[in-house]
Amino acid sequence: MKAKAAPPGQLESLLGSLLHYGTLAASGIIAVGLALSVFSSPLGAGIAAAGIALFILLPALRVAVMLLFFLHAGDYRYGAIAALVLLIISVSFFIGTR
Amino acid sequence: MQIGIELWLFAVALGTSMLGGVLGMASGIFIVPVLTMFGRIDMHTAVGASLISVIACSCASAAPFLKGLTNIRLAILLETATTSGALCGVFLAGWIPTRYLFLLFAFILLLSAQQMLVRRKDRDDSSSVQRLPLAMTLMYGAGLISALLGIGSGVLKIPAMDTALRLPIKVSSATSNFMIGVTAAAGAAAYFARGEIITSVAAPVALGSVVGAVLGARILMNVPDQRLRLMFVVILGLLAAQMLLAAFGINSIGPRF
Repeated sequence: MKAKAAPPGQLESLLGSLLHYGTLAASGIIAVGLALSVFSSPLGAGIAAAGIALFILLPALRVAVMLLFFLHAGDYRYGAIAALVLLIISVSFFIGTR
Repeated sequence: MQIGIELWLFAVALGTSMLGGVLGMASGIFIVPVLTMFGRIDMHTAVGASLISVIACSCASAAPFLKGLTNIRLAILLETATTSGALCGVFLAGWIPTRYLFLLFAFILLLSAQQMLVRRKDRDDSSSVQRLPLAMTLMYGAGLISALLGIGSGVLKIPAMDTALRLPIKVSSATSNFMIGVTAAAGAAAYFARGEIITSVAAPVALGSVVGAVLGARILMNVPDQRLRLMFVVILGLLAAQMLLAAFGINSIGPRF
């Protein structure tokens, strides 16, 4: 299977949308969590923490999208590079849990 | 939760991220000194919150740059080095005494001030992506410093792309900003898993950073004028001096070790 030519800029606009809407979602969740905390709701801190987790996840998701895009385009070299970055981020998380 | 402290954190993050956006630097270089020196927040907590701020700034401002300026293939290649460095930094962060982290931070502040004084110039040399090993080494160092100090390390990434890879300024700034999020995430993942990202500190900081980054990008996307740069050199120098004094235990406002 040879590389399917993706239209130029497709990956860029895909990543741009992911980061844009991801930032909106994470900020929105944090804002809700903080607002609940202000009214001393016990749920607030947990919701805010979920928003923070989403922020940490967002760059990893961006790399995952790149990985899928490269694989789909038959660009296995860059697919492997993206997979390596994703692996390193996962290792960092698991080091922290130990 | 005390609303006063949260508002202060929100305001600090908003201000520093806006400055960062205007100056083309990540917010972390201002956030960590302000939180530790004036907020008397523990260094690891400050670094954790700052990493979230760096991710937020990078993600919030990435979209416009992605239309033509960011070299994403080069970014993912260099990210193997920055995230490996971050992994190493995460290990070291638990071992290095705070006093030495302050010293290192002061050094990075001075380095940033020096870079701000020297105007970045485009080279005519168009042969790009040469000297990749040097760039990868610098990126590894940038990732390490990022995870250790909670900064974006644009201060090391941009010169790596300027001098080692000879990329045009706008491309290296955009690519660096794009990479900063992933680098900080590699560090933040470990801090998060360790429970060192304190929600009550990181949440207002994250929110302030997004607002600040968006405002900063609106104000101007170009290199600021000479007077503004000079002002920031002074601010960076003062923060460096404060952190040096704190590291040697002769301070009036910072933490004591």
